[in-house]
Amino acid sequence: MTTEAASTIPGRTPTDGEWRPLHPLTPFVRGWKVVAAALVVVGQQRGGDLAQRGLPSRTEALITLAAIAALALLAGGYALLAWRRARYRVDADVLQLRTGVLFRQERQAPLDRLQAVDVVRPLLARFFGLAELSLEVAGSGDSSIRLSLLREADAQALRSTLLARAAGLAYEGDVAPEAPEHEVLTVPVARTVESLLRNGSMLVGLLLLIGTVVAAVVLGSPAPLVGLLPIGFTVVSVVWTRFTGGFGFRVATSPDGVRLHHGLLTTRSQTVPPGRVQAVRMRQPLLWRGRDWWRVEVNVAGYGGGRNRDEGAVEENLLLTVGTRAEALMVVGLALPELAAAADIGIDVVAAGLTGRGSQGGFTSSPRGARWLDPIGWRRHGVLVTRAVLLARRGVLVRELDLVPHARTQSLALLQGPLQRRLGLASFAVHSTRGPVRPSVQHLPADVAAALLHQQAERAMSARADSTHDGRWMMGR
Amino acid sequence: MRSPGDPMVPDDVAWSAVSPRLALGRRIVACGSLLVLAIAVVVVAGVAGSPIAFLGALVPLALAGWVWWLIGRQVAAIAYAERDDDLLVRRGVMFRSLAVVPYGRMQFVDVEAGPLDRALGIARVQLHTAAARSDASIPGLAPDQAATLRARLARRGEARLAGL
Repeated sequence: MTTEAASTIPGRTPTDGEWRPLHPLTPFVRGWKVVAAALVVVGQQRGGDLAQRGLPSRTEALITLAAIAALALLAGGYALLAWRRARYRVDADVLQLRTGVLFRQERQAPLDRLQAVDVVRPLLARFFGLAELSLEVAGSGDSSIRLSLLREADAQALRSTLLARAAGLAYEGDVAPEAPEHEVLTVPVARTVESLLRNGSMLVGLLLLIGTVVAAVVLGSPAPLVGLLPIGFTVVSVVWTRFTGGFGFRVATSPDGVRLHHGLLTTRSQTVPPGRVQAVRMRQPLLWRGRDWWRVEVNVAGYGGGRNRDEGAVEENLLLTVGTRAEALMVVGLALPELAAAADIGIDVVAAGLTGRGSQGGFTSSPRGARWLDPIGWRRHGVLVTRAVLLARRGVLVRELDLVPHARTQSLALLQGPLQRRLGLASFAVHSTRGPVRPSVQHLPADVAAALLHQQAERAMSARADSTHDGRWMMGR
Repeated sequence: MRSPGDPMVPDDVAWSAVSPRLALGRRIVACGSLLVLAIAVVVVAGVAGSPIAFLGALVPLALAGWVWWLIGRQVAAIAYAERDDDLLVRRGVMFRSLAVVPYGRMQFVDVEAGPLDRALGIARVQLHTAAARSDASIPGLAPDQAATLRARLARRGEARLAGL
């Protein structure tokens, strides 16, 4: 395996506590991004003119080329400087990264606070066998550390070593062996495509397209189609991003935690160690109902913070892009081992929370008075507390079920508006780390919600007290 | 644990109110800007020479009166209670909220005071957990009270801190 190759060459192990540089091809790969962006901009600007004015003149073309070349030189030079300054080192407890051309920065990631490790391979880096290692440590704002770029083998070796050290696992040599992976589920491409088509805005877009085509044929002019182009471009790019991001979605288990592999052009391998999942949401849009498909989203501390907001926060926080109910339940079971450990509820209860209404499955739901505030969905608002997990259910058209382990509860709140007060209702919210899952239960009877608030505070405390998943998860096993 | 009476205001704990100087500070900011607006309207009306326009100044003045009253009620509704293992913070008159922040979940505690706050002798204690949404802050404490509260919270947090 690759790890052997890395460990047999002395001085090449990435984990010996020495300061080492990133891969020398880094400036080329990263500088290229700027040039590509410039090319896209020029292409968009000039593409429109091309149709009207024909080919640009020779001087015009030369000026454009020269500008792009200058930009490439500038970007490349900066990337080169950045690469020369960047150094990282790994020792027993921390990973450190020094970066910065003008403003120096030194980041330190305590390994016992490691929340997730991703190996990301952008398209261009894949050609050169390079990869980016991205670590999430618990912190507010942008707390991730990105080692960009490393040799792929080094990135893999570093990942297993970091995970092993974070877990407090003993191993021989400088580099920990790669943890064995057991694949549990793959999302077929056909299903990914169909799930993208079963989407409200997609349907509207299709209808719009058909309408315009008809209009164009009737009018005998392509003018309506041209008008549709910008909208069409946006829709296509959104769908394309989702398609490539979720392409070939695979879920696997390993002693390191849950492994997710996905991506068509940029591939991403995520490892979320046990007990790092803060909250889970199962979601079923209206048009997926016929197939009984579900999407599973998670909150992991560090995911979706800072830089990731514009760069695929949705993608990172996905535990399953689209799956059958059985698959979704299985994945949720992997993410929340507490669920299986607490024998008091089976996965059946979770299933009841997916579609149930009223008091089905033992849920506490909104009283009749809530129909004034939510005439359609009042029966679906419900909460169920099990020994280890709190389940919050909502939504008639778009069904949602949130699961929060008691041990991962950050803080709690009770909210009551003037109408709720009149009706004797209150809403209950559990605060989780940043992410797509924001668990809350609307319109519970006020006294029930208040009792829940205090009981849940106590449960969260006692659950934390005997939580074994914090810090080094392999210690004492 | 079910408390009799209003569930949003559990009465089995000792609530501490915040300083009424907080209301003064908020009133200065809110009513002050409305007053400036009223003066502006009067000036414009004077320049335009239209007596009807002077009545327009009554709108911001009336608003200022209402805001004055509202802020008093809002500040009176802010209260906190230190329990054995968590902190309760309650606020709001129309839209009420009651937050529970376990000491073990506090990552760090800040004390903040702006220039106006310092002039009035108040400070705000801001609690940070790993959750972005848990907005647990106690405004309007006397600075020394804020400092001791922060120290106490930090000590309790350290004793109970349990990772994420």
